[in-house]
Amino acid sequence: MFSKLAFRNVRRSFRDYGVYLLTLTFGVCLFYTFNALDGQGAMIYLAKSQSPAVETIQILVDVFSVFVAVVLACLILYANRFLLRRRKGELGTYLLLGLSHGQVSRLLVLETGVIGLISLAVGLVLGVAASWVLSTLTLSMFQMNMSGLLGLRFSLPAAGRTVFCFGLIFLLVMALSGLQVSRARLIDLIQGRRRNEVLRQRPLRWSVIQFCAGALCLAGAYALLLTFGMALAVAVLPICVPMLALGTLGTLLIFRSLSGFVLRLVQTRPGLYYRGLNLFTLRQWISKVHTNYLSQTVICILLLLAMGITASSVGLNQTLEQTAWTQAPYDVTVQNQSADTLGKIDFTAYLEQAGFDPAQQLSAQLSVPIYYNDPARTGTHWGDAVLALSDYNALMALQDGEPVTLEPGEVLELDAWGEGLATGSLGLVAAVVEDQAVQGLALRRQVWSANYAGDPEETEQVLLPLLRALGQTYSIRLESRLSVYQDLMGNKLLALFLGLYLGFTFLIAAAAVLALQQLSQGADNTGRYAVLRRLGAEERLVSRSAVQQVALAFLLPLGLALIHAAVGMKAANDLIAQVGRVDSAGSSLITALVLLAVYGGYFLATALACRRMAAGK
Amino acid sequence: MEELLRADKLTRIYGRGSGRALALDEVSLTLEEGEFVGVMGPSGSGKTTLLNCISTIDRPTSGSIIIDGKELTGLRGKELSRFRRERLGFIFQDCNLLDTLTAFENIALALAIVNAPAGEISGRVGKMARLLDISDCLDKYPYQMSGGQQQRCAAARAMVTNPALVLADEPTGALDSRSARLLLDRLEELNRELGTAILMVTHDAFTASCCHRVVFLRDGRLFLELKRDSPDRRAFFQRIIRVVSELGGEMEDVL
Repeated sequence: MFSKLAFRNVRRSFRDYGVYLLTLTFGVCLFYTFNALDGQGAMIYLAKSQSPAVETIQILVDVFSVFVAVVLACLILYANRFLLRRRKGELGTYLLLGLSHGQVSRLLVLETGVIGLISLAVGLVLGVAASWVLSTLTLSMFQMNMSGLLGLRFSLPAAGRTVFCFGLIFLLVMALSGLQVSRARLIDLIQGRRRNEVLRQRPLRWSVIQFCAGALCLAGAYALLLTFGMALAVAVLPICVPMLALGTLGTLLIFRSLSGFVLRLVQTRPGLYYRGLNLFTLRQWISKVHTNYLSQTVICILLLLAMGITASSVGLNQTLEQTAWTQAPYDVTVQNQSADTLGKIDFTAYLEQAGFDPAQQLSAQLSVPIYYNDPARTGTHWGDAVLALSDYNALMALQDGEPVTLEPGEVLELDAWGEGLATGSLGLVAAVVEDQAVQGLALRRQVWSANYAGDPEETEQVLLPLLRALGQTYSIRLESRLSVYQDLMGNKLLALFLGLYLGFTFLIAAAAVLALQQLSQGADNTGRYAVLRRLGAEERLVSRSAVQQVALAFLLPLGLALIHAAVGMKAANDLIAQVGRVDSAGSSLITALVLLAVYGGYFLATALACRRMAAGK
Repeated sequence: MEELLRADKLTRIYGRGSGRALALDEVSLTLEEGEFVGVMGPSGSGKTTLLNCISTIDRPTSGSIIIDGKELTGLRGKELSRFRRERLGFIFQDCNLLDTLTAFENIALALAIVNAPAGEISGRVGKMARLLDISDCLDKYPYQMSGGQQQRCAAARAMVTNPALVLADEPTGALDSRSARLLLDRLEELNRELGTAILMVTHDAFTASCCHRVVFLRDGRLFLELKRDSPDRRAFFQRIIRVVSELGGEMEDVL
């Protein structure tokens, strides 16, 4: 009997409280996806080459998972409290019919159990799919062929952790709702449907003043950000604090006054104001301002965080991609830092002796001497090291660069960046001088660079241990493009995964809170819709008004957050552009799609539910 | 006078099988243009069901309702909404003003719903407000007005669209006697000046006494009809009281 009632209630929940299930399912899906990172193609690749990034990612994701679990738990508890409040009358009826508090609690526990099982199952299935999508996304960001690494995987440990974590949350929900019922007094439950709302209206001209003040605050915050740039504005407290304060205050004022401001504007055009239910819709919006503006501000900021984090993690990745090749211009570079005391190494001889055939397995190799700078001979005080023009041009030729020519007596001053390009990070400020100027200078270092002939990974497996063995005699610094690449890839993945994880969590939190708030207001509005219907308003108009109200609540925070994000991205791109090329179109697109999918899902579910409530069925 | 409403053998049955209840049993009623008719009867006699059927909120199980030569039971969806907003006005016991709108906007909304030209709205609302004596509280929200003002505002909302028929369900039910009297005076005046027909359900003999005609319902049947033949309201009131007391125990709850 109880299970029948519970199942029936759950089925009704499907219809009325899709948002609750949506949140649970998204939560499970998110949690599983990021706990199953070890199954990601890119992670498998990194793990194979024993990159330390894998462990870092795992540890950080575990830490963040705790945070995410707490956020999701709060969200689910909030949603559950909201549902219980809506069902006060129903629960009161059960008690009135003679069910004991214990029986009603048991009913709720049963319902939570059923809902939990459904959302766990659906969420895990979605999670496996989401894992695959994420895997495709990350693999597509790397320029290597990793097709063998892509596949649908089910991670049992991740599933176990998800079930454990959400099981805990559901237990908490059961306990709290049981507690709430056992403590509830029948009179409160029965009268739970009564609402007590005091409408306070303020003169509309206040709205206009507040709106202008809000716009000024925002303009100030934007100006601060754009004039000082992202790096300064975020790091320097005297700039950061006023900027954030102005931004938040501006957002708050806008949400507080926008409805009044719009009402004022529309009222000057009676043709628009008195068309259909516009008048009603606008008044509904303004009447909710005092309960909604704070939450809308918070939601706008959460959305901004979600977008900012997601977009910059994806954008950062594309920038890192560019730097991989500039930081390591050759497949492998060895710097002999003890050349001044121990002399040059004959790499060809050494490798041949160790059974490695440089002629076969390397497509090119080059050994370049770097000398101590003696301004008396070279005529330049630029840097502590010099190299000969012909050597420099040979290096450039090896990386398909343009050769340079020097007039007699001219010196090419390399900054840290150009030096890295040419020699693979010497760690010295160097100058390029004419060949005859280096005659007689003392040898400081030797740099040996090579490109592989065959498959980089196979070649490195043989070559790198041999080169590392040199370190027993000489002081060497070894850099391979592949390891630089894998390091970067690890960092990329870290930024990407954490960014997406947090971004999604914020997004779901924002959307779910908004949706629940709108549903609750939609239910309060049913009486008003009944009046409209009696006045002869067509169903179409009534449901349109209901959807418009939800749309206002959902789209306004999104709109303002988009404006904030656009300004923020502009500043962030200026910063990233200093480091490398920016390609934010792609990242913005991905962010937009992600946002649309999740936020749109919530908007749709809420709008449909509110429309159903308005239809009074 | 032209016939405005003809309800013919209206029957409304709730439920089915053994649990079925007969709320209206072949009730026939006609209303002429500009008439002010009261419906009285004990609780459960079918007053509100009758009003709901006529107002198209409910559908009779059988029988027909013709308003302005239009058969209502055949109307669906859009046509029904259109008919409701263009030809009918409603006044309820709990006045049902929208709490988020000012009095002016509440009345204007009714006009907006019938797509009245925006330029006319202010003038029509103002005129109706003067007739109902609520000009000075047009900018107030419902919670800032007294019960009587709210109910008159609801009456203005019902009448501003020039409906052919206003349906009132216990309009004075929640009012003190002074406010009730003021509202009734205004309704009578509107009925006289604009020629709007009013069908009013009431418990109260005094309220009923301002009608031209009062019909009594019992157990879903029409069993008596009183016509007011003189302008003397007091005499009509006495006749209604007599009927009510003759009904004795059955209508005890009415007084």
